[in-house]
Amino acid sequence: MLSPYDRLAIPLTATPAEVKAAYHAKLREFPAHLHPEEFKEVRAAYETIRKGGASADDFFFLVRPLDAKLDPSAVEALRQRAIAQLQVSWEEMIRETF
Amino acid sequence: MGRTVGIDLGTTNSEVAIVENGQARVLPGEEGDLILPSCVGFSDTGKLLVGRDALRQYAAAPDRTVRSIKRWMGTDHKTTLRIDSASDETREYLPHEISAMILRALKQRAETALGEEVTQAVITVPAYFTDAQRQATKTAGEIAGLEVLQIINEPTAAALTYDLRSDETEQVLVYDLGGGTFDVSVVEITGEVTEVLASHGNNQLGGDDFDRRLQLHLAERFRQAHGIDVPEDAVTQARLLRAAEQVKITLSTHGFAPVREAFLGSKGNTALHLEAEISRSDFEELLRPLLEETLEAIDRALADAELDPEDLDRIILVGGSTRIPLVQQMVEEHLDQAPVDGVQPDLCVALGAALQAGVLAGEEVESILVDVIPHSLGISAAVSTPMGIMPGFFSVIIPRNSVVPVSRSEIYSTMSDRQTAVEIEIFQGENEIAEENVPLGSYKVEGLPPGAAGSIQIEVHFDFDINGILTVTTTEKGKGQQGTLVVNHGGIERLSSHELKQARADLDALFQDGLFQPDETLLSSAASDVEDDSIDVETSETIPIAPELVALLTRARQALDTLEGEQVEELQDLLDDIAEAIADSETELIANLQEELADFLYYATTQDS
Ligand SMILES: Nc1ncnc2c1ncn2[C@@H]1O[C@H](COP(=O)(O)OP(=O)(O)OP(=O)(O)O)[C@@H](O)[C@H]1O
Repeated sequence: MLSPYDRLAIPLTATPAEVKAAYHAKLREFPAHLHPEEFKEVRAAYETIRKGGASADDFFFLVRPLDAKLDPSAVEALRQRAIAQLQVSWEEMIRETF
Repeated sequence: MGRTVGIDLGTTNSEVAIVENGQARVLPGEEGDLILPSCVGFSDTGKLLVGRDALRQYAAAPDRTVRSIKRWMGTDHKTTLRIDSASDETREYLPHEISAMILRALKQRAETALGEEVTQAVITVPAYFTDAQRQATKTAGEIAGLEVLQIINEPTAAALTYDLRSDETEQVLVYDLGGGTFDVSVVEITGEVTEVLASHGNNQLGGDDFDRRLQLHLAERFRQAHGIDVPEDAVTQARLLRAAEQVKITLSTHGFAPVREAFLGSKGNTALHLEAEISRSDFEELLRPLLEETLEAIDRALADAELDPEDLDRIILVGGSTRIPLVQQMVEEHLDQAPVDGVQPDLCVALGAALQAGVLAGEEVESILVDVIPHSLGISAAVSTPMGIMPGFFSVIIPRNSVVPVSRSEIYSTMSDRQTAVEIEIFQGENEIAEENVPLGSYKVEGLPPGAAGSIQIEVHFDFDINGILTVTTTEKGKGQQGTLVVNHGGIERLSSHELKQARADLDALFQDGLFQPDETLLSSAASDVEDDSIDVETSETIPIAPELVALLTRARQALDTLEGEQVEELQDLLDDIAEAIADSETELIANLQEELADFLYYATTQDS
C-alpha cells in the first residue's frame, strides 16, 4: 500500500496548500463514480495528512478497547434498561448482543 | 440511448432540468411553467392529475388528492384516494408509488420539451434523509421508468450552481428550508471542486409545518369570533390549510394579511365566515420556536466541519421558505453575516442535479462533487463499564459526515467463553444506545471456534458506496470470511424485477388512459351537459372550461332544485357571475368563482346532514 504522501504524489515537505492542490488533482483523476477504490484511497490519504497523525493503517488493526470512555448519563440509561429487562436472563442478553 | 436529466423531487414543488452545452436549464411544461406542484389526484371523472390541476382541486376534494407525500417516503404509510366523485371506490398507494407518478409526469414533461426520450436521472433528496428514504426515492424513479444514476443531496446540488467569486477556496453555508425538510450544509468550494464538510438537518421541518401552525391559529380565530369550532371534516380543514398558506406567503411581503373564507361553518341556519387579519408578528410568534431549532443545526454542522461562523465566506439561502423575512433575519443575527439570496432559490437544486447528471452522462461539465454521509453507521456492541459488561451500545464504524464512498473496519472480540455465534445488528443514527437508532438489518455469524472470552476476533467491514448501499462483511481473524450482508434500507423491500415491471405497467396504464393531461373541454361541447338558462353559453364558444367546472355546474343546477330561500339566491348570483366571467373570458375570475362555487356547494349540501 502506498503511503499517504505517495498516494497524493507529493513530498513530505508539502505545504497545506500543496496538499490540497494535489488532492484536488487526484479527485479529477479518480472521480468517485468511476474509480471508487482509488477515490477512497486518495481521500484516506488526504485525511491522514491533514490530521497530521498516524497513517490510516494503524487504525485498521487497533483492537477496539473494551473500556471506552463513557458518558455517565448513557450508562445510567443503559442500567435502567438492563433493570427493566431483568426477565431476560443475562446469559441471553450476552448471546443476543455482541 | 435517451437523455439524462436532473430532478428535484420536492415536498411541495418539483422540477426537472438538463445540461446542454455545459449550461443547465429547467425544462418547462407545455404552458411554460417551470415548477410542477408535487400534488397527485384523481379528477371528478377518475382521471389522474399531477401538478397544478391536482393542487387546484385539493381544497374541494381532499379525498381524491394527495400532497406532501415526500414526508412519508421510506415508510409503508398508505394513502387512500377515491378514484372519482361518483363511486366510493378507492385505491391505496404507498409513498413511493405516488412519488413515481410525480417523477413520471416530470419525465413526460422533459420528453415533450426535448422531443427525445429520457431514460436516466439524478434525483435529489434532503441531505438528512435516511437510507430508507433514499431507497424509496430510488425505487420511485425506477417505477417511473428512469434509471437512477445517483441520489444526491439537495443543499449540495444547490452549491454546485453557485459561481465562485475567485479561485480562492470559499467556505459556504447552505441553509435550505423547503416545504417539508430542513438541511444545513457547510461546503468548501475551490474552483470546480465542491466538497461538503458537514451536513445536518431535520427531515420533518418545513413550510408545511408553518402552514399547519397557522391553520390552527385561524381555527382559533374562528372559534373566538363565533364561539364554535371549525368543522373537523377534511374539506373544511383543507380550505383552512389553503388559506393559511396564502396568509403565510402574503406575510413575506406585507405586514398584514387578510383572510376571508366564506361558508366555513354554520350555526343553525346562519352561515359562518372566517374574517380576520393576521399580522406578521402574529405569524412570527408561531414560527420562532421552529426556527430556533434550525439555528442549533447550524451550530452542529459548523462544529462538525470544525469551523467558526466568522470562517464562512458566504451564506446561501435555498428553498421557498427562506423567503420568510424572519428566517433571513434569524440566520443573519445568528451568524453575524447577511445571507446572499440564491439566484433562483426554487430552481437551483434542480439545476445542480442536472449538472451532476451531466457529469455522470459524460458531458463536458467542469464539476467535481465530494459529498458526505449525514448519519453515523455502526453496530450494537458490548463495552465494559464500572458496572460490568454492558451490551447494546452503539459502536460507530462510519462516523457521520464521512466522505462517500467510504470503507471502514473495526475489530471486535467475543464477550463470553466458548461463544460460538454473534449477532451483527446494524444501525444508523447518533444515539449511544444502539436500539435508539434506526435499525438497518442484522445477521448471525455462526460456527466460531470455541475459545476464551476475548480470544476470538472478528473484523466488521462496512462499505458504503456512492449510491448509498451499505455492504457489511465480517471476517473471523485467522479463519477467513464468514459472511456478507448487503443492507439496502430499513423500510420497504427492494422491488424484485417482476414487481418493478408490474408497478411500471400499472403506472403506464394510469397515464395512458389519457389520465394525465386534463382534456379541456370547450364550452360549446360542455353546453350539452349544462343546459341551464342561468348560463349564457352562446357568447363564449372559444373559452375552454375545465371538466371540473362543468361537473360543478351540473351539481349546482341540481342544487338549485333542492335548496331553499336565501341559498337559492346566493347560488343564482354566483352562477350569474360565472356566466358573465365566461362571457368576458376572464380566466382568473372564472377560477376564483369556481373555487367559491365548490365551497358553496360543499357547505350547502353538507350543513344539514
Ligand atoms: N413567498 C413565500 N413566503 C413564504 N413561504 C413560501 C414563499 N414561497 C414559497 N414558500 C413556501 O416554500 C415551500 C416550498 O419550497 P420549495 O419549493 O423550495 O420546497 P420543496 O422543494 O417542495 O420542499 P423540500 O425541499 O422540503 O422537499 C412551501 O412550503 C411554500 O409554502
